[in-house]
Amino acid sequence: MPIPTARKSRLPRGAFPVGILLAVLLPLILMPLASIYVFAARSGWQGFVNALASPEAQFALRFSLLIALLTALINGGLGTYAAYVLSKYRFPGRDALNVVVNLPVAIPTVVVGTSLLLLWGPIGILGQFLAPLGISPMFAPIGVLLAHLFVTFPYMLGAVKPVLDELEVTYEEAAYTIGASQWTAFRFVVLPALRGGLFSGALLTFAHSLGEFGATILVSGNLAFRTQTAPLYIFAQFEAGNIEAANAVAAVLATLSFALFFALMRFNKKGARRDNV
Amino acid sequence: MSIILTNLTKRYNEHLVVNRVSLDIHDGELFVLLGGSGSGKSTVLRMIAGLTTPDEGTIELDGRDVTYLAPQARGIGFVFQNYSIFRHMTVLENVEFGLRIRKIKNNDRRRRAEEMLDLVGLAGLGTRYPLQLSGGQQQRVALARALVYQPAVLLLDEPFGALDVKIRAQLRASLKEIQRQLNLTTILVTHDQEEAFELADRIGVMDTGRLIEVGTSETLYYQPDTEFTATFIGGGNVLVGRKEHEWIRLGTAALPLPADIVAMDDGAPIRILFRPERTLLQTEPFQARDVHALGQGVVIEQIFAGAMQRIVLEMEGLRGVRAVAPRAVYGQSVTRIEVIQTGARAAERNYALGQKVWVGLRDFHVLEPAGLKVLLCVSQDPSGSLAAEMGSLLAQATHGSATLLHVVARSELVAPARAYLETLRRAYASRIPALEVRVRVGTSAAQILLEAQEGHYEVIALGQRASAETGYRGLGSAARQVLEQAEAPVLLAQSQRASFKQLLICTRGGEPGKTDVAFGGRVARRADAAATVLYVQTDQTTLEEQKRAARHLLQAEAALSVQGVRSKIKILDGGIAESILRQADADDADLIIIGAQAPRGRPRLRWQNLATQLVGSAARPVLVVPMNE
Repeated sequence: MPIPTARKSRLPRGAFPVGILLAVLLPLILMPLASIYVFAARSGWQGFVNALASPEAQFALRFSLLIALLTALINGGLGTYAAYVLSKYRFPGRDALNVVVNLPVAIPTVVVGTSLLLLWGPIGILGQFLAPLGISPMFAPIGVLLAHLFVTFPYMLGAVKPVLDELEVTYEEAAYTIGASQWTAFRFVVLPALRGGLFSGALLTFAHSLGEFGATILVSGNLAFRTQTAPLYIFAQFEAGNIEAANAVAAVLATLSFALFFALMRFNKKGARRDNV
Repeated sequence: MSIILTNLTKRYNEHLVVNRVSLDIHDGELFVLLGGSGSGKSTVLRMIAGLTTPDEGTIELDGRDVTYLAPQARGIGFVFQNYSIFRHMTVLENVEFGLRIRKIKNNDRRRRAEEMLDLVGLAGLGTRYPLQLSGGQQQRVALARALVYQPAVLLLDEPFGALDVKIRAQLRASLKEIQRQLNLTTILVTHDQEEAFELADRIGVMDTGRLIEVGTSETLYYQPDTEFTATFIGGGNVLVGRKEHEWIRLGTAALPLPADIVAMDDGAPIRILFRPERTLLQTEPFQARDVHALGQGVVIEQIFAGAMQRIVLEMEGLRGVRAVAPRAVYGQSVTRIEVIQTGARAAERNYALGQKVWVGLRDFHVLEPAGLKVLLCVSQDPSGSLAAEMGSLLAQATHGSATLLHVVARSELVAPARAYLETLRRAYASRIPALEVRVRVGTSAAQILLEAQEGHYEVIALGQRASAETGYRGLGSAARQVLEQAEAPVLLAQSQRASFKQLLICTRGGEPGKTDVAFGGRVARRADAAATVLYVQTDQTTLEEQKRAARHLLQAEAALSVQGVRSKIKILDGGIAESILRQADADDADLIIIGAQAPRGRPRLRWQNLATQLVGSAARPVLVVPMNE
């Protein structure tokens, strides 16, 4: 049971400032969110189900989930490894590398898409050599994956590295003196300590991948039944005027995101409680 | 399992953290490395464990060279100050970890882990998680975890540092018992003397990366060799007396000179240690034959501390005797000593402040002489042997020690250089019995500077060859570099003198001038030499500067007289270098001491610098003292 703290109970009751805040938030955030569900409900349950059942919508949703899962898995491994190296080793250029790996958060996703096209595209720096071999990473599922890996790379790192930084090196050293190899020490000493960070990092990566749009639209070519993710499907259907179809998938996406978000919040709260024991 | 460390050295960014530590730890011994923070004790332990790689030296475990072996392959148990037990494993899983890695069968593993928990007093707590345990219990888990796979050596790094006093005492007792029971060679690192005394079979005292002294608690407490140990361990009185025939003269008191003291000249400083609790107080003079009377003192402080009573006395008869410990308080003119009365004596006799009482010593201990430590930079030419000649004379005059250093360019020249140093060593053995010999490979200046820093030398002796050029041009390139960069004073031996009995200290007014007066005073005090403090004023000297210089000279004279150095002060007009030479001739000075300024961030010597002007033109040894502005 939450115990009211002294500080909280001293706060004044303010109907007016709260009212203003709600008045601002209502059109900014709350109403747009609600409208998704309102529209979804308008055509009735059957219409909603029908819209979701279309093969194109089905593909887009499954493709999105698959890509998000792969992204979370791959970046889970890569991000953890990067965090370990950046946290435990000293080398020249370490600070610079630290900035570089966090850069994807700062770059507009459209720019990411463009740069990937300029590298892997048919006339890209590397792509021009692959094109004669019949390999084209762009406008293919692998291109979408590449874009998502790029865009979500910092999330895993950001969740794991602070935990690693906090973990004193003596724990690993203790394992070494006991006789554990570096891998055993990592597997049985470091990794278990990272569990929380790994989970929340993977969840964040998954959620961001699910919603990724800017980079995906450029590298995928928005090909139905091939590279079309759920957000791209929504966009395409809207443009074609099929509001109902777009709205149904949007409602599913929103619900998924809420679920992930609440899962993350609950987990973090639990983690904080456990650490305070 | 014995542990042998040989010349173990570790640097971090050119900073020496561990400096040539050699140590021999016996089978089944509990050895304690004792030192303050930053003394390098933990680094030594980490190097033995393989967690830190040494830069030089070797580590042997039971005859096997493990210097570069991975920690996993050394078979040691290590206990950290922060426990470092794995938080996501239960107590039992933590202890079993070492056995699981060694692929011990499940049943066997469980049995051995539980036996070990029993041994450390944690039976029945195996299923708990570390966060459910107290600090003391966590450290017991760490101990069990380090012992369960039967390591050959147990290493503990400040294991009780994070625990409160009561728990600490319990854990110490357990550790000692377990160590005895398993007959396990153990090294424990601590800064806590009490802990060291309670646990150790032998103690090694460390300071600034060096292993100062090794011995049992009793030896280090009552008969330490060094001043550092005498003052670092326990409270103590360290006074500096002088040899006078068969006696040690301390003001009006005289103590018999122990028979085992190596031959010393009369007047040589002798530092004696007596512990506060080995002193006697009474209201009448001492008659007993087995008590050494120290004289009468006045009680100026009395502190009741439970089982004992601490008394501070001012000893009128010891006026002028330098006390290393207790440290003189600012403005104190009479030497003070500390006395501790215990048991019935403390309860029965209560002295009033200001009361006069007689002080006697049950026993006292003579510390090893601590004169200047001189680095003799020799080469196989006349100027090189001049460095050995005058440098060893300085070391002898100050009752110090010296090392002969020969730098060679290539490693195949090491053997002939060593042979040459050996002949020199024999030649000077009568002067300095413990003359050491070192050969280094590389460029002269760099190796001299490195050796000076690593060996904590107080003076670097360089030979200055006879040359037509005087001043800066007369210096060799190595000498220039050493003069510019050395942090220790440099003795430029450019002519032979029979002794160091008359010093000429050239000084400037103001704060930097104090450095060379202080060092000159040290040399004079230890060599029992007389000194002239000289200030030269030129046409450019302002009235303000003259006044400041006069004040400075008076202070210098006072400072020297406190150190027991006979001195006179002198002010001359004219050119600085000429005036110094004139005064040196007038005094027939054996040594000219002069400060060399180091302007911030710039090399200390410029060719026009005063110190270098004396090169060649003064046919006398010059001691250049680095000063920082």
